[in-house]
Amino acid sequence: MITEIDVSGVLSRTLCEFHNDLVTRPTGRAVRTSIEAELSGVRGVNVVVLDFSSVRLIDCSCADEIVAKLVAGSLEPGSPAGETFFLIRGLAEHHVEQIDEVLQRQQLALVAVLDGALRLLGRVTDGARAAFERLVLLGSAAAEELAAELAWSADETRAVLDELAGRRLVVREAGRYLPPTSAA
Amino acid sequence: MSAVIDVPQRFDDWSFEQFAAAFAKADGAAKVIVDAHACEWISPLGLVGLLAAGQALHERTGARPLLTVPADREVAHFFARTGFFREAQELFEIHGTVPRVKAGASKVLLEVTPVRGAEDVHAVVHHIQERSAEILTNQLGLDPKATMGFGMALSEACQNIVEHAGTGGWVSVQAYTWRRLGKRVVVIAVADAGVGFRHTLEPTQAGRFGERWGDGAALEAALLQSVSRFRDPGRGQGLAGIRRYLGRWQGKLSIRSGTARIAIVPPWDQDVPLAEGLAPFPGAQVQLVIPAEAQEAR
Repeated sequence: MITEIDVSGVLSRTLCEFHNDLVTRPTGRAVRTSIEAELSGVRGVNVVVLDFSSVRLIDCSCADEIVAKLVAGSLEPGSPAGETFFLIRGLAEHHVEQIDEVLQRQQLALVAVLDGALRLLGRVTDGARAAFERLVLLGSAAAEELAAELAWSADETRAVLDELAGRRLVVREAGRYLPPTSAA
Repeated sequence: MSAVIDVPQRFDDWSFEQFAAAFAKADGAAKVIVDAHACEWISPLGLVGLLAAGQALHERTGARPLLTVPADREVAHFFARTGFFREAQELFEIHGTVPRVKAGASKVLLEVTPVRGAEDVHAVVHHIQERSAEILTNQLGLDPKATMGFGMALSEACQNIVEHAGTGGWVSVQAYTWRRLGKRVVVIAVADAGVGFRHTLEPTQAGRFGERWGDGAALEAALLQSVSRFRDPGRGQGLAGIRRYLGRWQGKLSIRSGTARIAIVPPWDQDVPLAEGLAPFPGAQVQLVIPAEAQEAR
């Protein structure tokens, strides 16, 4: 299942229809709470696309309250939302920096669509980033297939892919791994 | 007993210490006169610093301190155009003629504006993005990418008041020629008369610093180590965001709180990174300086 959320639309409905700047913690909290309410009825594997196309500004505080806390919440054991994979798109260059920084600070990461390509924002190891990028090119792969592509051992590759899956950055499905967009 | 606090002839971040020393000397006085009659020039930091002093004196003595209007008509008009007197009349008993200015006569990027809650921060950022982005880009030659970051830095600087001061504060944004640099700059100044950084961070940080704990250590912890009074690991990123932005555009950041002042000093300035043992002044005063025609530092 895929759920698309226009973040600017949420801001308009939640706080003020005249502003499209995501600034301040209270604003971020209000927007996040609204998004969480929207997702509360969803069960099972769910790819949530956060669309920032109509957002003009985002500051660190708001990025932390919305993006970092949504991602962190989805990783909590027993999260009622089931398996939620957040995907982010419509980012301007100045959005990317704020979001990347707040994710880095808390050792979090998520998948972003930047210039039409899938990229990881936040804190990931070089190996995990390399595995993710090759997996995106392949569309989907078993650990052995990706290991052959990267010239890594199968065990090492599986460990990296499982780590990515545990962080909700790739989907694990019937012994294969795929980026969240493919799963949706 | 009464005391006079002279407003420096040229009131900016350098002469702020002269003002703070006079403010500290007035401690205990039942009646205070803030004398701006000889003032010939004032920066955004001077304007919001004056208001913070007025608020602190009002709270301390229970009476509004006196404020004399600058004798020079042009200077008094400038004070009026920045919106200073609109805020000052709540805090001071004003002596002298306050010039009337037509609505919309101000050409400053952002008039002296009170910041008390998140909605004020929204309004300030919206104003800058709607009305001043063109000035920042076309008249000051600021890269359009820097203009977007400007709104972020402004937001974080204002939120510092909302989140930590325990009281309201003020923000002012102006563009003018920075004498020490010899070129135009955009300056954001934010000030409050609240509890200050040391008080805010003391419960969580004082033990870690031991005998070194004080205003300087609190500023170091907040600015250089991004610590926050909250347990939430996502907190404490605002000042770090401002630092990154100013680093990219060769800007300067300085924060004064209590008896200390910390600064991120760009190559074009000769300020000291940390000054301690200064005259005590309430709350926190933050100044961001972004040179015009700034090129992104790679």
